Amino acid sequence: MKIFKLSKLATVLPLVCILAACNGDDGENGATGPAGTDGAPGINSLISQTALPVGNADCPNSGVKLESGLDANSDGVLDASEVSQTEFVCATGMTEVSSAQLLTSLQNTWFQEASAEIAAARQVWLEATGSAAAKADAPELAKASGIKGKAKNVILFVGDGMGISTVTASRILEGQMRGELGEENQLSFETMPFAGLAKTYNVDSQTPDSAGTMTAMMSGVKTDVGVIGVSEEIERGDCSTVAGNELITSLELAEIAGKSTGIISTARITHATPAATYAKSADRNWEDISDMPESAVTAGCKDIADQLVNFEANLEARFAGLDVDGIEVVMGGGRRHFLPKDAAANSPDAVSEVEGDRTDGRNLVTEWQSQYPQGTYVFDETGFDSINTDTTSRIFGLFNESHMQYEADRGNDISGEPSIAQMTAKAIDVLDNNEAGFFLMVESGRIDHAHHAGNAYGALTDTIALSEAVDQAMTMTDPSDTLIIVTADHGHVFTIAGYPKRGNPILGKVVSVGSTEPALAADDMPYTTVGYTNGLGVRDLGAETDSDAIYAFTPVSGRADLSNVDTTMPGYHQEALVPLSSETHSGEDIGIYASGPGAFLVNGTNEQNMIFHVMDYAADLAEQANAKLD
Amino acid sequence: MKINWTTSVGAIALAVSSVLHADVLPDYQTDSPWFTDAQTNIAAKLDTNNVFKAKNVILFVGDGMGISTLTAARILHGQMQGNDGEEGLLSFESFPHTALVKTYNVDSQTPDSAGTMTAMMSGLKTDVGVIGVDENISRGDCSTVAGNEVITALELAEIKGLSTGIVTTARITHATPAATYAKSADRDWEDNSDMPATGAENCEDIASQLVNFEQNLEHRYIGVDVDGLEVAMGGGRRHFLPKDAAFNSADAVSEVEGDRTDSRDLTAEWQAHYPNGVYVMDQTGFDAIDGNTTERVFGLFNESHMQYEADRENDISGEPSLSEMTEKAIDVLDNNQKGFFLMVESGRIDHGHHAGSAYNALTDAIELSKAVEKAKAMTSDEDTLILVTADHGHVFTIAGYPKRGNPILGKVVSVGATEPALAADGMPYTTLGYMNGPGYRDLGTETDADEVYTSAAVAGRQDISNVDTTTSGYHQETLVPLSSETHSGEDVALHASGPGAQLVQGAVEQNTVFHIINQALDLVKE
Repeated sequence: MKIFKLSKLATVLPLVCILAACNGDDGENGATGPAGTDGAPGINSLISQTALPVGNADCPNSGVKLESGLDANSDGVLDASEVSQTEFVCATGMTEVSSAQLLTSLQNTWFQEASAEIAAARQVWLEATGSAAAKADAPELAKASGIKGKAKNVILFVGDGMGISTVTASRILEGQMRGELGEENQLSFETMPFAGLAKTYNVDSQTPDSAGTMTAMMSGVKTDVGVIGVSEEIERGDCSTVAGNELITSLELAEIAGKSTGIISTARITHATPAATYAKSADRNWEDISDMPESAVTAGCKDIADQLVNFEANLEARFAGLDVDGIEVVMGGGRRHFLPKDAAANSPDAVSEVEGDRTDGRNLVTEWQSQYPQGTYVFDETGFDSINTDTTSRIFGLFNESHMQYEADRGNDISGEPSIAQMTAKAIDVLDNNEAGFFLMVESGRIDHAHHAGNAYGALTDTIALSEAVDQAMTMTDPSDTLIIVTADHGHVFTIAGYPKRGNPILGKVVSVGSTEPALAADDMPYTTVGYTNGLGVRDLGAETDSDAIYAFTPVSGRADLSNVDTTMPGYHQEALVPLSSETHSGEDIGIYASGPGAFLVNGTNEQNMIFHVMDYAADLAEQANAKLD
Repeated sequence: MKINWTTSVGAIALAVSSVLHADVLPDYQTDSPWFTDAQTNIAAKLDTNNVFKAKNVILFVGDGMGISTLTAARILHGQMQGNDGEEGLLSFESFPHTALVKTYNVDSQTPDSAGTMTAMMSGLKTDVGVIGVDENISRGDCSTVAGNEVITALELAEIKGLSTGIVTTARITHATPAATYAKSADRDWEDNSDMPATGAENCEDIASQLVNFEQNLEHRYIGVDVDGLEVAMGGGRRHFLPKDAAFNSADAVSEVEGDRTDSRDLTAEWQAHYPNGVYVMDQTGFDAIDGNTTERVFGLFNESHMQYEADRENDISGEPSLSEMTEKAIDVLDNNQKGFFLMVESGRIDHGHHAGSAYNALTDAIELSKAVEKAKAMTSDEDTLILVTADHGHVFTIAGYPKRGNPILGKVVSVGATEPALAADGMPYTTLGYMNGPGYRDLGTETDADEVYTSAAVAGRQDISNVDTTTSGYHQETLVPLSSETHSGEDVALHASGPGAQLVQGAVEQNTVFHIINQALDLVKE
């Protein structure tokens, strides 16, 4: 331990001086006294200095040891036994470590990559907030500038049910499908510069549903579970409470502002998530007229499919003098809600004997075609592939009677259907012909469905398909004028358990670090890494790629002996604790990932309805829409 | 259905909405508190902070505090105040910046606290179970430590002349705090009796490394001259005392408190080393410390881990809360003009979860939120970077579909219903649950989650019709029976405020946390 630092040298020296008996000022002369006897020879006070090297325990960065004492034996040398005081004068310690001493860290790849990322993050921040022009001398506090309205295009991707655990597991599966360990992988949207968290609850529900959550994202206000495009003043299922509570969506604002608009879903296009972009309904289940109570029809409420086809007319009716051109791109499933309940209206790839559900005799597909003679209606892969986006101004694609296939099951569709990435690319190709820009919503609707079926394989492979769609969008657009947001509406009770070793198959059984055989639980049976807290439970359906095949069985609870089961198969459904006919959503926060103008606003923990406001700010939707009405 | 917005923020309709003279958007949409609050939120985000350098950094680690724990703790916190709960925010959830953090260790898909905290403190990922060393280590092999030690942010701050402190509710020698100051081939080498009898002679146990931190650092980096940790508070006295009843503290639980077989009393060694330092072991000693005049504090408040927050009053001679320790630590550390680095771990969120007790996990998470709130109030946004994160999550879920405001620890009651929903087995189920672990127990008003370990794991469902699942002693049902519920592998959140917090962006590897601290304090000269 050092006692004095160099800076205290000045206080050390006077002390040394006193010990050496040096002169002080003369005092007044006194009276002369009698001569005394001669005294004995004096004892000298000695000081010894020893230089201390770097690394010395008392002066780690070198210094001097000062020892002093009386030369009791008068040999002129300060012997160890004569030292009465020891002081250290130390050089100031080094306040940094040379890079040569940090090579273990500095040459480590993890260290280097993270260091580079943070080094780049400063510029990412300055550019994202509009302070980039100032660069080094950016003002310490500033208003973000030049961002409002900078996003010409907005693309919102919604992974239905794609909670945080789903994102992690999908990232690992995608990497492992490429032969990598997996954990280090990033889904396309995980490379985006900003990420925030969203609180998903609905006004009346701790754990939400897609109707309430998507209404929040599209309209900027939270509402009740199960309702579409209406505020919390609604009574679910009561048509009479719709009027006066309808909310305007960001897609509608974009439409009014003159942008091109599009919606894509792998679910039925009338399902809750896509419906919340264009419809107002007291109940998410009113997908066609046959789903509505007679009283609601009588009271004048329109089914959701009807609202999609009449979107343009309905929006114009809402605002005097408004003239819009309707949605340019609509692609998804749900043909049954658009066709009359009449086998004559069946498509070539109908699954049911009578594909259509409508009991009002209307064929909304033909209504759409007569409304938009230049538009192209397609229902299968061949039709989809033949669309020339340079010449096509409008697409209506209904690729399945109900939901589109799970991505893993897509090859089994009767007459084929496009992937979500293909639909996204096609949509952007059509929409980006508009100088005023576009608004596109893309939903991966079946991540949710596979989770509901307790089938991780289906959920993760659909998430990977969404990642590919986002990748497509990121490639086809320019981050300087396109805001892309990727989020979920809610999570699922889906977990990734401990403690599989690195690179262990994410759909496999837990094999511990250093082990080659599955770990055993207290019941002496192996267990899978991924699992569900509730739902239909364990089922080994082998190579089945349709998650919904599980619904032929009743729910089972608890454990099964998986020793001889290949849990990585598409048809394996994970064990569940609480037996339910459908696995449930979960209530924890979900991730929001963003790139492009305004992406930096996606930050922190937010209410889910904030997403509307980010899009509105970045693309200036409300003001531009207002200007059109003036 | 109309449910009143309950937060105070909700009442403030701010200016930004005025730019949206709602021609297209109806008034009832733009006047909705949901709408105006979000506008206020956006407006706040537009005030951008371009200060990147900090004087002080405080890193809070909620051990095992995954995203589902944040949400459930937030709801419980609100409900304890009589609100619905969902609308609130934990203190740090109002921080402006977030990232999502990938937690895996180099050799483990689902990580442990040793590997994750080494990543956060040293800037690189490493293996599961090892402390302050890189992935070239062989866990448990002392001979592989030399040459693989990595420097930590705390050590760099110490060398730079900042004051340094560590606070935890776990044993101060436990993995998370240890990764700030120790280098060890095994997280379990907390004292010399925990080390292999042969083959580890050249390795120093973790407790000894804490007490010898100053000398070890000066020895490792020739030429540096440091003054050691100013604040170390937590549990784990057993690792610092000799295995001799004569050394028992006044609030010893075991007959012989100490575990050390080398006869060393490290508390006495510390005191001899730092005569001006104050060693305390209970609430009275803690309360007597004047943070403005005390230059150094060493507090070991429990033989093993400190109590769960819910169980704290049952401590024999009392112990401070995490927020009290945080306050005291800042009081001591902020006397240094050069600034300080403080790491605060809420270690027992993790333990509550391992025991399958949501009550203990959530009440400890709420206490962490209070500690962060305290730190935020005592420091300035202009010079103090505060980071709040977790090392990993747990297999802990919030199931559907409870109605708004349903007790988070209760059974699921659906929207519009008043009685619990029933599963396919005709029995009710709780909102919260675990995929694996010790499983169902009804221990009534017990506040120590670890009581579950006195009996074997129970798998599967129970009829909880007549059980009050909101009591402190209720342990949730589980699917896979394990003696201890496991960590989970999904990403965790990182919340940040202050200078340099802007660099908390996107989805990142966990070792990025070090580089965020490093950037703010300019620790490594490359």
